[in-house]
Amino acid sequence: MNRNLLAMRHLDVDDIQYLLAMAQMHKDNVEAGDYPAPPSVRRSVGLLFFENSTRTRVSFEKACHYLGYQPVNFSGDGSSMSKGETLRDTIFTLKHERLDALVMRHRSSGAANLAAEYFGGPTVNAGDGQHEHPTQALSDALTVLSRKGQIEGLNVAIVGDILHSRVARSDAWIFSKLGAHVRFVGPNTLVPSVMSGLPGSVHYDLKEGLDGADVVICLRLQRERMKGPHLSSSREYTKLYQVNRAALRVANPEAIVMHPGPMNRGVELDDATADGPQCAVLEQVTNGIFVRMAALQWALGDDRGDA
Amino acid sequence: MRTVFKNGRIIDPSQDLDLVGHVVVENAQVVACGPDVDISDATTVYDCTGLWITPGLVDMHVHLREPGEDYRETIKTGTRAAAAGGFTTICCLPNTTPPLDTPALIDFILDKSAAPDAGGVFVAPVGALTTVKDGQTRMANLASLKSAGIVAASDEGVPVQDANLMLHAMEYCRQLDLPIMAHCEDLSLSANGQINDGAISALLGLAGMPRTAEEVMVMRNCLLSLQTGCRVHILRVSSWGSVELIRQAKYLGAPVTAEVCPHHFCLTENDLGEFDTNFKTTPPLRTELDVDMILQGLSDGTIDAIASDHSPYAAHETRVPFDEAPFGCVGLETALGVTLTFVTHKGVLSPSETVRRLATAPSQILGLDAGTLKPETTALAQVTVIDPDVEWTFDVKKTFSRGKNSPFDGMNLKGKAVLTYCGTEIYRDALWDSARDHTTE
Repeated sequence: MNRNLLAMRHLDVDDIQYLLAMAQMHKDNVEAGDYPAPPSVRRSVGLLFFENSTRTRVSFEKACHYLGYQPVNFSGDGSSMSKGETLRDTIFTLKHERLDALVMRHRSSGAANLAAEYFGGPTVNAGDGQHEHPTQALSDALTVLSRKGQIEGLNVAIVGDILHSRVARSDAWIFSKLGAHVRFVGPNTLVPSVMSGLPGSVHYDLKEGLDGADVVICLRLQRERMKGPHLSSSREYTKLYQVNRAALRVANPEAIVMHPGPMNRGVELDDATADGPQCAVLEQVTNGIFVRMAALQWALGDDRGDA
Repeated sequence: MRTVFKNGRIIDPSQDLDLVGHVVVENAQVVACGPDVDISDATTVYDCTGLWITPGLVDMHVHLREPGEDYRETIKTGTRAAAAGGFTTICCLPNTTPPLDTPALIDFILDKSAAPDAGGVFVAPVGALTTVKDGQTRMANLASLKSAGIVAASDEGVPVQDANLMLHAMEYCRQLDLPIMAHCEDLSLSANGQINDGAISALLGLAGMPRTAEEVMVMRNCLLSLQTGCRVHILRVSSWGSVELIRQAKYLGAPVTAEVCPHHFCLTENDLGEFDTNFKTTPPLRTELDVDMILQGLSDGTIDAIASDHSPYAAHETRVPFDEAPFGCVGLETALGVTLTFVTHKGVLSPSETVRRLATAPSQILGLDAGTLKPETTALAQVTVIDPDVEWTFDVKKTFSRGKNSPFDGMNLKGKAVLTYCGTEIYRDALWDSARDHTTE
């Protein structure tokens, strides 16, 4: 049986915990120099990226490498999409290239659902528009687990451009499903107008949002937002919402600081925090490999030895 | 040639008629209507016992897609869909390719809709309110368009943003006694928006269209109508604020009318599911509160008409990521069934008020030769026979329209047009029992 990993919103707690446990197992094995045995059936995984990505693509490739899967790369501008092919026809084509699983990133919210429908096999969402980025959420949860030992009961503050962030949504779902208290922190202009459908409280004041926080997740502020109608200036935004030593004074002294990358140093985070011991950004990157190993195996059904 | 619609419930708000009787058509014109009329010597008799006999329905908001977009719909397929939906007169909106901004294009529409292989319904063209000349948006040649036969002018699809341009367009249309059908949308507020700005847009990560994008333009257009005296018809109201603004404008004496589409009074943003592009409309599906207030507006007469905003698209245009899909859904073949199911049978509108919203009012707003069974009034008899209680399931695959983008596919509905007559029988539904009619030569 194969499965799709499209949105944290739809995943139940048992599956989330199972994926995290599997990721932890891979992490232990790889760190011990012990790669998993390659599956008896050769697997090829299509990595279809319509948006630029460094870390997500590399970590999927690395996950394939550890698992003995073959990654097959496609990019939006290098493929026939730039010649006018529809997403549907591109996916149908990949299906008939006999790929075993599909990993896709696309600029449109909901594109992963379409990809899963057209591909008809295991599909993993590597980020769809402003909707979700479920493997990033798994990586963030694994990072918090390894630093804090647990997630239940923690205060998790997600800071910045909530409106346009797929990471904010996936993180909010995974941490709230695992029993943490989620807070969305950002200016009114970058928080959706109605938040009743998303799990968490809303805070426009950084100090209030960080008060007693155990985990602080900074979101990337895209450059076009700094000039658009959402903000007065990047300078004022930095003054009000930058996570730095002064801002963290109200947080739990043991709080960890995360960022899905790429960071705008000096905007979302100051140098001292980005390079300090509280910062878990590079662990997030490494954990990204292990959660993607788990996600691919789970999607392909290779975790249950029925390959 | 004498045709009798026998023993049905005649519902004709234009004559305040709601009683069981007969409608007699001679030489394609209604000659008698009522309980005590002579029905002898009929060539054709339709036994309408237990059914409604109403004026042919009028849909004032249809996109026929010709010229230029015949892969989505044609005048032939669109008019056939109209007949199947119980409509005998429809208005086609001007945002085609090219837009309906010259008299020659109006002639083209009128010729094509009168062709023998078309659906047999009347098509009343709506002309483009503005046209682009030398890169500048300006008023179209509205006087010439009126002479060519347009019944209204509209900025549908290209909502006028410049208030001064709209002011002068209204002044000119007032002089021409031409109503303006206004697409009320502030494009700076709705920019990039995909669905209603609310809980679902936050959840799905889709850019929101705030209700104010509609309401500020409803307000502007109502105020300009009040100032100029131009008749303004507000296309597809979707928000409770718009209903309230229109109510106020009418109270102040502005010559304003309004329509609502079936999807806006029975669906909400919660029905979008997982990015189903068939539910992507502009203005967007909103909330329960909006639906409640729209129903109230229908009930108290603030909203004058029900129109489908029939917007067919080809499959390849809708099977795409949500933000790449076009706005709109087909509606000609569901408008009546959805209205009866969600409005009439729920007691929001009486049968007579339902027929007023679907036939008499649109006809009066645009001055059409339709919407009544009054003897010797319309050039051709337009009659729709409705089975109000028949239960059926809408299957979009079986429709006449080329567009299959419907949010109502698979929905169970109660009530349907079973026979449509426009000078001659133009549609007979599979649910029409052939034992009900006989013809003698």
